[in-house]
Amino acid sequence: MKALLLVIAGVGALGAAVSAALHANPALAGLLAAAAFAALAVWAGVAARELHAPSDLSEPRHAFATVPASEALPRGGAVSRLWALTLGAFAIAGIVPLVSLGRRPLRAGTPWRRGARLVTPAGTPVRADDVAVGGVETVFPEHAVGAPEAAVLLIRVQDGAVAAPPERRDWTPRGNVAYSKICTHAGCPVAIYRHADYTLYCPCHQSEFAVLFGAKPIAGPATRPLPQLGLDVDHDGFLVARGDFDGPVGPDRWDRPA
Amino acid sequence: MIVRRVAGFFDERLGSNAILRTALRKIYPDHWSFYLGEFALYCFIVLVATGVWLTFVYQPTTQDAYASVVALGRSRPIGYLMRQVHHWSAVVFVAAIILHMGRIFFTAAYRKPREINWVVGVLMLVLASLTGFTGYSLPNDALSGTGLRIGMSVAQSIPFIGTWVSDLANGGSYPGPFLLPHIYTIHVYFLPVAIGVLIAIHLGMLFLQKHTQFEHDGSKVIGRRFYPDYLLRTLAAFGATIAAILVLASLVEINPIERYGEYQDWTVPNPATPDWYAGWLDGALRLGPAFEPRIFGHPIPAVFWPGVVLTLLAFVLVVAWPWIAARFEPDDELHDVLVPPSAAPWRVGIGAAFVTAGIVLTLAASDDQQSRALHVPVTALVTLYRWAFPLGSLAVGVAAASFARQLRTRIDAAGPQAERVVVIRRNERGGFDEEAVKPA
Repeated sequence: MKALLLVIAGVGALGAAVSAALHANPALAGLLAAAAFAALAVWAGVAARELHAPSDLSEPRHAFATVPASEALPRGGAVSRLWALTLGAFAIAGIVPLVSLGRRPLRAGTPWRRGARLVTPAGTPVRADDVAVGGVETVFPEHAVGAPEAAVLLIRVQDGAVAAPPERRDWTPRGNVAYSKICTHAGCPVAIYRHADYTLYCPCHQSEFAVLFGAKPIAGPATRPLPQLGLDVDHDGFLVARGDFDGPVGPDRWDRPA
Repeated sequence: MIVRRVAGFFDERLGSNAILRTALRKIYPDHWSFYLGEFALYCFIVLVATGVWLTFVYQPTTQDAYASVVALGRSRPIGYLMRQVHHWSAVVFVAAIILHMGRIFFTAAYRKPREINWVVGVLMLVLASLTGFTGYSLPNDALSGTGLRIGMSVAQSIPFIGTWVSDLANGGSYPGPFLLPHIYTIHVYFLPVAIGVLIAIHLGMLFLQKHTQFEHDGSKVIGRRFYPDYLLRTLAAFGATIAAILVLASLVEINPIERYGEYQDWTVPNPATPDWYAGWLDGALRLGPAFEPRIFGHPIPAVFWPGVVLTLLAFVLVVAWPWIAARFEPDDELHDVLVPPSAAPWRVGIGAAFVTAGIVLTLAASDDQQSRALHVPVTALVTLYRWAFPLGSLAVGVAAASFARQLRTRIDAAGPQAERVVVIRRNERGGFDEEAVKPA
């Protein structure tokens, strides 16, 4: 019985090796190896049981001998207040190289510029009527497709449906409205648009943003609207940006400008 | 014999045979629950073995990481298996640590003199979770990239130093070119070495202090000899752990990055949920209030409360537990004898409440999937879990404590367990007959 288990373990191990070397299905190699280890485990279990070793052997427990601290650390040694202060000075000096590692210059804004055409991830420029009402498209500035934090959701709603303050009335030509796709909560892409209630929804933490009301957060943990990208239509009928976003993109941090 | 000659070689130079004899003859108490920590140890061994193999095929750069992991599965089937085994062991590793910790908690093994080992164990749980998180971030697939992005947002939210930490990790603004190489160094070097050192300390302290036991006589260790008895048992645990991981890895696909695609900051898989042990943090982020006060003109982002404050609070509570618990049963004794959970209903209650809080947060991490399956709005589930987090935990804690109290009363009423005495007689046929004797 025990010998058979060891044979199974050995054959299983070799079988796993051969099947892996022959590029067989990985599950086969895995299961053969599993059989080998399982046989080994059963062998050890059987062998342990067959020992009939006593389970009530004992050896004494001793508490560790304790030495009074006054004896272990005699007074008047090397440890003095001045010594501690010096050590502190070394520690403070060590902070400088550590601090010098961080804080690189921040990226100033995003690549969105006045007049930059909106293009799809494939690089196709988008006209004002390309996205149907109720549709949504991820777009980038034409010169920076795929650039970090430049992703924009272009959503088409009925013309005039967006409730914009007077100075932004022109930002949504023919019902095309554009917001940063990077969630202001934790930076996930706000990937899902529900046209039924004009809501953007983040699949990570379920924040919801009202598309018709400046993408202000209406549910979930987000606190700040998605920054808006003002849109315009150029001479050839393509959608272009009016400039950079109206606020900082992505999640907040201590030194985010107000 | 070769083993004896090697032992002799070292003995003549280091006097090591005396130590070897002590180690092999050492007595270890035996109970099924004592193997939980061993399962974790064996997972760690599997993780190191498969992890070292994987370092030779993985490319830690933003450009090549994803392609290198996908190619791993295509070019050699064993590569796919290695990744499966590595990921599954990580998942089982954390689970085994938590179960082991539960055993320590509910039998009060953390009491003096073992508080230090409790703290070491908690640190290992934290490091194991971090190793898991940095590990599944390495393929740079859409899911893990999103997880990393969320992690960076949490790091960024720390007052004063958040941006510094984020810049340090990224080598500039997120997503920087250094992020994956940094994560890689942390994952394959700092964290595993730290865990390895802590394991050595953990086991070293266990060796010096000797294992706790259920047997009531605390003046001596009662159990089995290490060699060969316990060695065979732990070998069985070793084989069983690896066999279980291999079966899971062979039959159940984990983290199918080919389906998620490569990470880009504008795409995300839906639904997006992390590995199970990070679920409670993701759930906490989902339940966290949309609360972003400004202090001296600086924002304290909403992710700071669940992502940093709650995490630190949980960590401090768990680390300090032996000292908190000592206030409930103040004595200065050394405790080598374990207690059954029912002996201390208050401990059962607190433990059950803590576990429930963790389960509620973990459940919240898939609230969107529950919403879809149950046709309930996700906002309703968020409200439900927000209430269940404090109140459900409290209710379960109180219920568990009262259950433990009833159990204790029943055990006390039954009186001390009488030992079963049998007389064995040899019969005419040469066999043995067993006859129970009523205790006097």
